Amino acid sequence: MVNAKGRHMIEFLGDVAAWFGDSANWLGTTGILNRLREHVQITVAATAVSMIIAVPPAVWLAHRRIGGTFVVAVVNIGRAIPSFAIVVLFLPISIRLGLGIGFWPTFLALLFLAVPPMFTNAYTGVAGVDPDLVEASRGMGMTDWEVLSKVETPMASPVILAAVRVAAVQVVATATLGALVGWGGLGRFIVDGFAVRDSVVVFAGALLVAGLAIITEVILGTVERRVVPATLRSRAEGVESVVA
Amino acid sequence: MRTHARRTIAGAAIVAFALIAAACGSGDDGGQKEGPTITIGSAGFSEAALVGEIYAQALEADGYQVERKLNTGTREIYAPALEAGELDLIPEYTGSALTFLGGTPTPDSTETHAALRVAWEPKGIEVLDYAPAQDKNGFVVTQANADSLGLAKVSDLAAHNGTLVLGGPAECPERPHCLLGLEGTYGLTFKEFRPLDAGGPITVAALQGDEIQVGTMFTSSASIFANGFVLLEDDKGLQPAENLVPAMRAEIIEAYGDDIKQSLNAVSSKLTTAELTSLNKFVEVDGEDPEKVAAEWLKAIGVVE
Amino acid sequence: MTIFVQATGGFFSWEWVVNHLDDIWDRTVEHLMLTAIAVAVGMVISLALSVVALRYRWTYAPITWFTGILYTIPSLALFAFLVPITGLSVLTAEIGLVSYTLLILIRNMVAGIDGVPPATVESARGMGYTDRGLFFAVELPLALPVIIAGVRIASVTTIGLVTITALIGQGGLGFFILRGLNLFYSPVGTTQIVVGTVVSVALAVAVDLTLVGVERLATPWSTRRAVT
Repeated sequence: MVNAKGRHMIEFLGDVAAWFGDSANWLGTTGILNRLREHVQITVAATAVSMIIAVPPAVWLAHRRIGGTFVVAVVNIGRAIPSFAIVVLFLPISIRLGLGIGFWPTFLALLFLAVPPMFTNAYTGVAGVDPDLVEASRGMGMTDWEVLSKVETPMASPVILAAVRVAAVQVVATATLGALVGWGGLGRFIVDGFAVRDSVVVFAGALLVAGLAIITEVILGTVERRVVPATLRSRAEGVESVVA
Repeated sequence: MRTHARRTIAGAAIVAFALIAAACGSGDDGGQKEGPTITIGSAGFSEAALVGEIYAQALEADGYQVERKLNTGTREIYAPALEAGELDLIPEYTGSALTFLGGTPTPDSTETHAALRVAWEPKGIEVLDYAPAQDKNGFVVTQANADSLGLAKVSDLAAHNGTLVLGGPAECPERPHCLLGLEGTYGLTFKEFRPLDAGGPITVAALQGDEIQVGTMFTSSASIFANGFVLLEDDKGLQPAENLVPAMRAEIIEAYGDDIKQSLNAVSSKLTTAELTSLNKFVEVDGEDPEKVAAEWLKAIGVVE
Repeated sequence: MTIFVQATGGFFSWEWVVNHLDDIWDRTVEHLMLTAIAVAVGMVISLALSVVALRYRWTYAPITWFTGILYTIPSLALFAFLVPITGLSVLTAEIGLVSYTLLILIRNMVAGIDGVPPATVESARGMGYTDRGLFFAVELPLALPVIIAGVRIASVTTIGLVTITALIGQGGLGFFILRGLNLFYSPVGTTQIVVGTVVSVALAVAVDLTLVGVERLATPWSTRRAVT
């Protein structure tokens, strides 16, 4: 027997299904497909640029064994920066820089979100490579550059890729805030739905974002598995509590 | 035993943490009037919050206890909250409120106000006297676009159907006096609608950056003039009368008696569109605190000593 | 004319800060309280769920799956969705905030307890500890570093999320950020955004360091520094 609350829920879920079923909601600039495209684009861009900013310097610093405490501070402070604040903060900055509203404040804020954990994990990954292994490689006659590129980085790859995966998922969730500063993306359904108190649209928006986050996790997880040899995989597990 | 002591310290720290949480400091309770606290809400844009603040200070000066929950979103959020008792008093705009309740407002202030009164009474909301001040939806363009596209009235936009981007608050596409009216009454079609904010700085920025060509702003906003925008004339009369009025829960009036309406009505009688626009300027353009602006104005009009 | 303040006016106004120290303090306290409630309640719920997960191992996966899903829901959506149900209230904010603490707290509590060396557990049993005594007197204290690491992350994350609750009528430092969002053409607006941001970060760092201190006090036997 379904009680009143249960019936309410089922009715609501029915409304949500109907919303997804309406093709008008999929097409056009305000449709699901376009918002999804915007969201994916910013996620890919922010994740890629963050990797470029974060990983090479971190790997180099770790290789030289300098800056350890600084690196830990980076992730702690990075985690302490509220994304909502940064998105809003970058709005007037972006306008004054002539970059306009919407995309740039959101993108810059996402960099702030993704760079710290990638930076710290790339560092910890390389710094954590067995020193005996490094010694042995040098002993074998490898140049400094070869040690870095052929030994340290591959050995650190599980940890680095795990950080990229976790950061990308966080980017997907946080990009929803862009809707507050004139951007589009899946956050539009949430913000606009909230404004007109349309819980169906808010819920649908949340489902879309959660769905995209899960897909991102799965795709990057698969990439990780392909790229990283099985023997090194267990290293990555310990990363979660640092990065998450 | 040592472990016990260490455990206790950790436990104490956690308890302390929780105690901080539990120690909810309540506000001061020096009100002279005995009765329920009046919770004041407002729409989520600076003018509404400012008027809400004015109401709050006027009531506080009379000795009522007030709680502020300003900037409570859109009408879909604060109107049900008012009817449900989560809010007790809000500043409202007669025309839009009446439309929201299913009525049909006209450009006549008295008519629209009376109709709103009637519409809200069965829901336990009393609509007080209305102020001369009106704030309607206004559609603005930059001076540059006005010149190059030949825009002076809203109906001039029809010549550019399908090519211009309209920006406004997220609820605009659902509002008869916003996008729905532009499409229906004026026969306009836009290339795109971009949800921004309620006539605030994001809309201003979008207009200046030409990311939108037509922006939805509010006629009493100081930002229109301050930014050199052109307010398109509402030649087909889409906008109804939008007088500012306090909407209050009848229960509160019953609890305190009709005296509570005095200060609020006094405020309304002194609030003209010109006054409202200049108050908006202090907040939006000069960056003054709404609290300070409200306090100084209430003193100036003699509602507060 | 003061409008194009981007060119003429500044970005930051010390004057505003000095005039509003009271407000800033009030909002900081509000922010801290919202955080403390969320983390405290989160810890209670997580402790209960962790005990269940440790007792009945098969429940660990579904529990982390469920709390993981909660974690994936964008905070804005969760708050927006709850408003029609629980109103523009502290309760709505707290339900959301607590939900985001669960995954990390449970994971760290379970990992912490699991990390206690089996040999230690064995000898404690040998000394006569009951299951309950064992848990509270031996396993929990030894798991403290990892648990507190989780509390640190949960607290810092919550402090960030509290800013978003300004959008549903709650306060904390998000109030300044939202005000600034409505007013950023004037230095008063941009100053408020900066203040909201900087004080939030400072608060988070302070709480983080305090918890590190708590951990050191509570576990003097651990000679190694905690990993995070």
